[in-house]
Amino acid sequence: MLTSGGRQADLLGDLSALTRRALLKWIRNPAAVLPGFFTALFYIALFGNSFNPTGIVPSNINGFQLTSSELEEVKTAILSQTFGGAATYISYLTAGIICLILVFNMAFGGIDLVLDRQLGFLNTILAAPISRASIYFSGVIQNMVKAMALGFITFAVAILLPNGLMLGKGFGVVDFVGAFGALALLAFALSCVFTALALSVKSIDSLVAIVNFATFPLVFTSTALFPAADFPSWLKAISNFNPITKACNAARLLMINGMLSSSQQISFGWDLAYLAAFAVAMGVVGYLAANKALAPR
Amino acid sequence: MRRLMGSIIEADKLSKLYPPKTKAVDGVSFNVEEGEVFGFLGPNGAGKTTTIKMLTTLASITSGTAKVAGFDVKHESARVRESIGVVPQELTADDELKGVENLMLLGKLHHVPQSEMKEKARELLRLFDLEEASERRVRTYSGGMRRRLQMAMGLVHSPKILFMDEPTLGLDIQTRTKVWEYIKKLNVSGLSVFMTTHYLEEADSLCRRVAIIDHGVIKVLDTPARLKERLGGNVLILEVSNGVDLSEFLRTIPTVSDVSRDGHMYKIKLPKTEDAIPAIVDGITSRGLKITQISFLKPTLDEVFLEVTGRTMREEEGEAQESWVQNVNIGRSSS
Repeated sequence: MLTSGGRQADLLGDLSALTRRALLKWIRNPAAVLPGFFTALFYIALFGNSFNPTGIVPSNINGFQLTSSELEEVKTAILSQTFGGAATYISYLTAGIICLILVFNMAFGGIDLVLDRQLGFLNTILAAPISRASIYFSGVIQNMVKAMALGFITFAVAILLPNGLMLGKGFGVVDFVGAFGALALLAFALSCVFTALALSVKSIDSLVAIVNFATFPLVFTSTALFPAADFPSWLKAISNFNPITKACNAARLLMINGMLSSSQQISFGWDLAYLAAFAVAMGVVGYLAANKALAPR
Repeated sequence: MRRLMGSIIEADKLSKLYPPKTKAVDGVSFNVEEGEVFGFLGPNGAGKTTTIKMLTTLASITSGTAKVAGFDVKHESARVRESIGVVPQELTADDELKGVENLMLLGKLHHVPQSEMKEKARELLRLFDLEEASERRVRTYSGGMRRRLQMAMGLVHSPKILFMDEPTLGLDIQTRTKVWEYIKKLNVSGLSVFMTTHYLEEADSLCRRVAIIDHGVIKVLDTPARLKERLGGNVLILEVSNGVDLSEFLRTIPTVSDVSRDGHMYKIKLPKTEDAIPAIVDGITSRGLKITQISFLKPTLDEVFLEVTGRTMREEEGEAQESWVQNVNIGRSSS
């Protein structure tokens, strides 16, 4: 679209200028980047060990003493039957923790956008002849990049920890791309929703209140931390539609198993399709909401 | 000042209603000529910023029409945005970016070709004396430097008109005077400027015409000189050595519009010029009388403002400054 004097309205140019600005700010502020590493470490090392369900299996049940090998067998059975065959609880947990980190970083990542409104930067760019879509999508991309970087850090921390993430046999680059592709679809969808929300609210207080209200149910009705097998039926039904469950299941399937059987491939494909549809839907809903929020009032 | 060509802003019965019933701007009509520095004065909440927001496409227009640089604000907002530069009240330059990076960012968002951008940034940094600080992050800038950078950011795409909302609010006198110099320099180079201000001496010194707005309505619009003349012009106060009545003599001097006497004291109104003063002094001394006290009062925009709004500008300045400082503190402390 021609704007004036031969200058072209350039969605990609606007998008890259705004995204570059946000990422430069992020990289230049060590206080924003470093805690990500420690958050990953704390979640995986502390949560992964302290909540490890195989650690609470008693060796003596009503006077019946299990030998150490029997105890190990019980633990392995729990992991293989309830936790999808994961070698360790952290192997099961990693995909869930990455999802959890994505959700919370997406949700609170909007604070930068609210500050842009409060400090007047948003008005400065709204008075420029740029596409409104570039403001929305730069918010989506910057949030996604920041959260996905933390996702990669979490993955690396989980692998490096002793008794941490033990990847399935044959896990290769394609599986890595598949697992993080599923997580990226979830990240995109969440980023669309939370970016639109951040562009719509006027204060950080409002954003934090809404985010707190929305994120906890979202996480705890998913299989991020625990499998759905023992959920009550109503929770299982909700969990089944929860996109976090789909992303966790897809990424976990690849991380735990590496090479997938044909039935696992089908299950992975359905999860990916669900996430793709969810991402498109949230992209459209977020775009419409952001457009409304950015229109002159 | 630049030769005037035609209207760069045409506002016709412009209104803004904030639901349910707050009429922030109520049918204002005015034109700003190309090449003119036009001042918008008014108490807090009078509708100044809302008017700027409507003209810069940041707020919707409830009724009426406005054209900026020949484009309809409502229906051709993208064209308007290409033609305008905006220097908001807030300091919006990004703290974490360098001065030059802020300029380049705004240049990109205004689609200035890359080939022109570097030269333009250099030119603006030179104009606003920011060359040495250009590679420093803005967080290290003083308030005055931030304000200058903000002005440079508004000019990076060579706009036809620059909107400035309280350009010197929160600045010390020295920096304020420096900003006035920049505005004068820009105007000489041909830029039209629409500005709001709380500083009457600023409007007096910079603006060819000013409008005083109150409760969303333009109360007066004219040149500062003519607005002051409306108050009856300059006043000469004299005390003479004895009680001889000089009123009749004083009334014969052509530019004297009114004379009142209280004993030895005379209050003489001179609407247009001070040329009469030598004639008055000569006339009195040639009668063998002595002038024991003399003072000359020029009406200021402050008095015009008081008459139009019922408030002095000094109260407004204090409130505006306080609220601006609070806003900035809230913003910075949350970051």
